[in-house]
Amino acid sequence: MIGKRGRVTGRVGPGLVGEVMISVRGGAEAFYAYPADESSVIEIGQQILVVDFEEPRTVYVQRWRTM
Amino acid sequence: MDETLLFGIGGVIFAVLILFLLLRALWRVAEPNEALIISGLGARGLRDTADSLTFKIVTGKGVLVLPGFQTARRLSLDTRVADLQVSCVTSQGIPVHVRGVVIYKVGDDYASIANSARRFLDQQDRMDDKTHSLFAGHLRSIVGSLTIEDMLHNREALTAQVRHSSADEMSKLGLIVDSLQIQEIEDTTGYITNLGKPHAAAIAASARIAEAQRDQEATEAEQVANAKKAAAWRDAQIKSASYQAEIDRAKAESEQSGPLAMATSRQLVVVQETKAVELEADLAEQKLQAQVRKPADAKAYQTRTLADADRDAQIARAEAQAREIELRAAADATRVKAAATAQAEATRATGEAEAIAAKARGLAAAEATRAQGLAEAEARKAQGLAEAEAISARSAALAENPDAVVAQQLAEKWPEIVEAASKAFGNVDHMVVFNGADGVSDLLTKALSMGGTGLGLARQLMDAMKSSPENVTPSITPSENGIPAKFTA
Repeated sequence: MIGKRGRVTGRVGPGLVGEVMISVRGGAEAFYAYPADESSVIEIGQQILVVDFEEPRTVYVQRWRTM
Repeated sequence: MDETLLFGIGGVIFAVLILFLLLRALWRVAEPNEALIISGLGARGLRDTADSLTFKIVTGKGVLVLPGFQTARRLSLDTRVADLQVSCVTSQGIPVHVRGVVIYKVGDDYASIANSARRFLDQQDRMDDKTHSLFAGHLRSIVGSLTIEDMLHNREALTAQVRHSSADEMSKLGLIVDSLQIQEIEDTTGYITNLGKPHAAAIAASARIAEAQRDQEATEAEQVANAKKAAAWRDAQIKSASYQAEIDRAKAESEQSGPLAMATSRQLVVVQETKAVELEADLAEQKLQAQVRKPADAKAYQTRTLADADRDAQIARAEAQAREIELRAAADATRVKAAATAQAEATRATGEAEAIAAKARGLAAAEATRAQGLAEAEARKAQGLAEAEAISARSAALAENPDAVVAQQLAEKWPEIVEAASKAFGNVDHMVVFNGADGVSDLLTKALSMGGTGLGLARQLMDAMKSSPENVTPSITPSENGIPAKFTA
């Protein structure tokens, strides 16, 4: 799960419960997302990288920029 | 041999059939929308479930379940729907009655399935009621943190609030909220209705404006189109009429072409007939010329020539006669002239001779007269006295018988009178007498008869003198040289 990339469908930021769509188990599922560094805000539609995962459906993400 | 083989085949088939039925009874397959929860002998999860309840979760594949030692339960992973009806208050304090729906399911991961299986495995039918109660509270808190405008328009805020309020509890229950929809908001205060009224009024106004404008444009377009249609109809009628006129004209021309051609041909016929008639007339004229006029001309020419000849003959005859008369008159004149000339010569010679003689006689007589004068004077004196007496006597006699006196006097003087009458012709040089010889004798007769008439004349004079005898002294005195005596009164 960690290291997967996904897309923000609900705004991720401090004090918010964001939502990201991640491809997993042959489908795409929505996960609750929190910023990994507690301060950054990731808007809807941006790509993220999962840096940590917590059962059952919580991920910590940071912004992912394609090189 | 055959039977042994047959039995062998039959036994194999039977054995396979038995095996199939056995597997069919013991083998369980988890379909994609469910999870098999297997518990019992030897049920060990692959992961760290060993330290709690030991059960095995199977998804998407089959597993052999030992009857009596193990049990397999199915947990549906299907989407579930729970209707929500909540009376609550918005963040603006407006009481609303919200009716919504939440769509959720059991999470696909093992943790969610395990949480869910522990809570709902025997209560799957009543899961909706439980989630309804759960979500009613969540929805109440969600609505309380939103305004009506956000609920109506701001879907992002709604979903964020749903996640914020329900994420932890959902994780505990192993459920995932796919969607939460607010289907209906009953607003007892009329807030929503009033919210839309300005827009509705504006939209209605703009709609009416647009309708009126479109109606106006449509009407204008319709009128323009009608005008164009009318113009087109008029043009079409005009063209149609003109074409019809052309058709009629062509038809009339074609209809008239027959009579026209007939008339033209008839005209040509008439022309030819006229020429023929003219030729016939010419022929008749030529015939007349040849048969009538030429003979008439010839006859006229003959008649004219004859008349000319006759006239010429008559003229010649008259000219000849006139010439003859002229010549005869000239001859007569010549003859008369000669005679007169001769007579004049003779008379002149006689006169001259007599003049000479008279001259000589005069000279002699003058001497004699002069000598005699004195004597005669004496004689005459005496004679006068005697004559005076005689005259007085004659006058007395004349008064008594004048005719006798006059006759006597005339008888005494008759020779002188005749001589005087003949002397009248002596002075004529050239006399033309048309009656010829008879004329001359006639002339002479007239001259001589004058003496006779002189008698009558004298008688008239005497009658006149009788009325005044003192004033009249008629006397006839003969001249000395024989010239006719002058009769004085």
